[in-house]
Amino acid sequence: MSNIKLLGAIGLFSGALLISWVTHGTGVVVDDHDRNISIPDQLTVPMQVQAAYNSTTMFMRYRWPAERPGIFHDIVRYEDGKWVREGGGMPGPNPFGMHEDRVAMMLDDGSVPEFGRYGGYITIGDGLAGLTDEAPEEVSKYLPLTRNSLGAWDDMAPESDQMSLRRAGYFIDLWHWRGARSNPIDEADDQNVAADRGGDAGSSPYTTNWDSDAGQPLVMFDADATGYRALNWEDVREGRISQDQTYALIADAAVPFDPEAGWQDGDVLPRRIVRPGSGSRGDISADGRWADGFWDVTLSRRLDTGNPMDDKILKDHGTYDVAFAIHRNATGGRWHYVSLPSTLGLAHEADINAARFTGTTPVWGDAWTDVTLFYPGQVTWAMLNSAHHAGASSIAEGIPVEARHSPEQLAVYGVEVEFRDEIRRQWLLTLIAGVALIFAFGFALNATIASRKGA
Amino acid sequence: MAAYHVVLVHFPIALWMVASLAIVIRALNSGPLGLAMDRALPVFLILGVILGAAAYTVGLLVWPWATLSSTPMGRNHMLLASWSLAYYALLAVVHYLHGEEIWTGLSRWVMVAVAGIGVVLVGITGTLGGHLVGIYTEVGDVLRLLGWEIYSTYYVPNLTLVIIVVVAAALLALGFLGRGKAQN
Repeated sequence: MSNIKLLGAIGLFSGALLISWVTHGTGVVVDDHDRNISIPDQLTVPMQVQAAYNSTTMFMRYRWPAERPGIFHDIVRYEDGKWVREGGGMPGPNPFGMHEDRVAMMLDDGSVPEFGRYGGYITIGDGLAGLTDEAPEEVSKYLPLTRNSLGAWDDMAPESDQMSLRRAGYFIDLWHWRGARSNPIDEADDQNVAADRGGDAGSSPYTTNWDSDAGQPLVMFDADATGYRALNWEDVREGRISQDQTYALIADAAVPFDPEAGWQDGDVLPRRIVRPGSGSRGDISADGRWADGFWDVTLSRRLDTGNPMDDKILKDHGTYDVAFAIHRNATGGRWHYVSLPSTLGLAHEADINAARFTGTTPVWGDAWTDVTLFYPGQVTWAMLNSAHHAGASSIAEGIPVEARHSPEQLAVYGVEVEFRDEIRRQWLLTLIAGVALIFAFGFALNATIASRKGA
Repeated sequence: MAAYHVVLVHFPIALWMVASLAIVIRALNSGPLGLAMDRALPVFLILGVILGAAAYTVGLLVWPWATLSSTPMGRNHMLLASWSLAYYALLAVVHYLHGEEIWTGLSRWVMVAVAGIGVVLVGITGTLGGHLVGIYTEVGDVLRLLGWEIYSTYYVPNLTLVIIVVVAAALLALGFLGRGKAQN
């Protein structure tokens, strides 16, 4: 009889352990759009990078997988006599595929030393748009010293300090290629990050195709040139529009909107007009094509743009810090994949070696640098320097992130941070339940052996 | 405190590993070797629990609670350390209360199984501790293959918590039933 009880105790204990193992890690991580939480199914994405330069120009080539090309950002759709907007920022992927694909490269020349150690993490201040605790006004990426104290998004350093920092090179150059809002005109958006993520001096490569007063678009496709005034909603939604046809409203090729053109339900116009960027903002040329499940994007820019207050000037034999990010699957805002920082060397040994060539265009070989991109979650720079991060002291010592963490690890941590309080509670309950189970098993074991002794 | 924790934690690990080995030897051998192991077992187990409790306490002082309870690896390390300590305390108590009796019949093999689980628990605890100080082993990959990504916090959902509580209650009931019979 005692053997049966003993076996019963073992069975119960083992069963509880097995159920614990099978169900662990479930029940907490769920999307919650009210809290700006949407966790991607895939936490890491592989990317390949190549670099080359000649006497005047830097070329960067990026390749990454994307199930379908995000060549629309937002659109207006004709429905029941009105134009309705589809697209715009939201947590996670837009269900209709309305958000452009992007690749971005942050670039620094060592003037922001923390960037070389921690990459884009240093630009994630508290209050950023898209965080669960986002500020009441829209706050974009910013560098730590542009605020008087860590994490105080609204406590700006004095303007004179901001100017001094800028003159000292305390900003990050941002090459920002957009699948809908810059690629159709073979450009990328030249931006930078300092007190915020903003455009370089000049005008952006896009504007809005909307006349607020009239409640209608400003321009439409030129039917004489394209054969259509508008695209079809089903075709757009199902991804049947290709890069081989006219899918963007390019300023010079579009015609003024005609409200009397006999619009039908389901007619679609892009909500953006694409035009060449001007000034420093138009420094970067682009060539982006999607084929067979991959984007292949090449960006090029003069080594010396003549805009040192906006751009990091590149020099032969120089080394630089870079970090990459992509948006895909119709996501925007913080729902991107990012990389750890890498070094870029111009004929100088580095993580990414840019080969010097003669001529006007590089001949790309098969030598790529592999980069693992990861979903970063809601990890802010202030949090990384706080008691909530065991590695805060390592940051204070200047130990680079790569010495402690892999991209795969950071992706998991990024998700954990989004549910910190919930997971902590569940973990504590699990710990206590486990101890209680061990205690109860011990009690049963003792009593069963005791009964055998007494029998 | 981290350095002291690292030094201290070697003692319970060594004692518990030796205790587990002694349990296996005693279960397989009832001769002089097995009996010698059994005589030494209380020393290994009780000293292991005392030093384990000391290492655990010092471990709690390595980081502030806000840090320990916010860090997945810190949480996992503490969870497994708590269970390891509780587990070997269980073994120590069982051996202390019943002595030679545990080596008769089925309980002999139960002790082996329990010791085996203890070794796994301590092994994982040590592995996680290694990760925390930047020393990695392949054990993490094995656990990953078995279904646990060790960089994520180990926790169970509410339904499983309820099941564990019910199982614990059933074990207690089983114990009370057995105890009642022993007293009769």
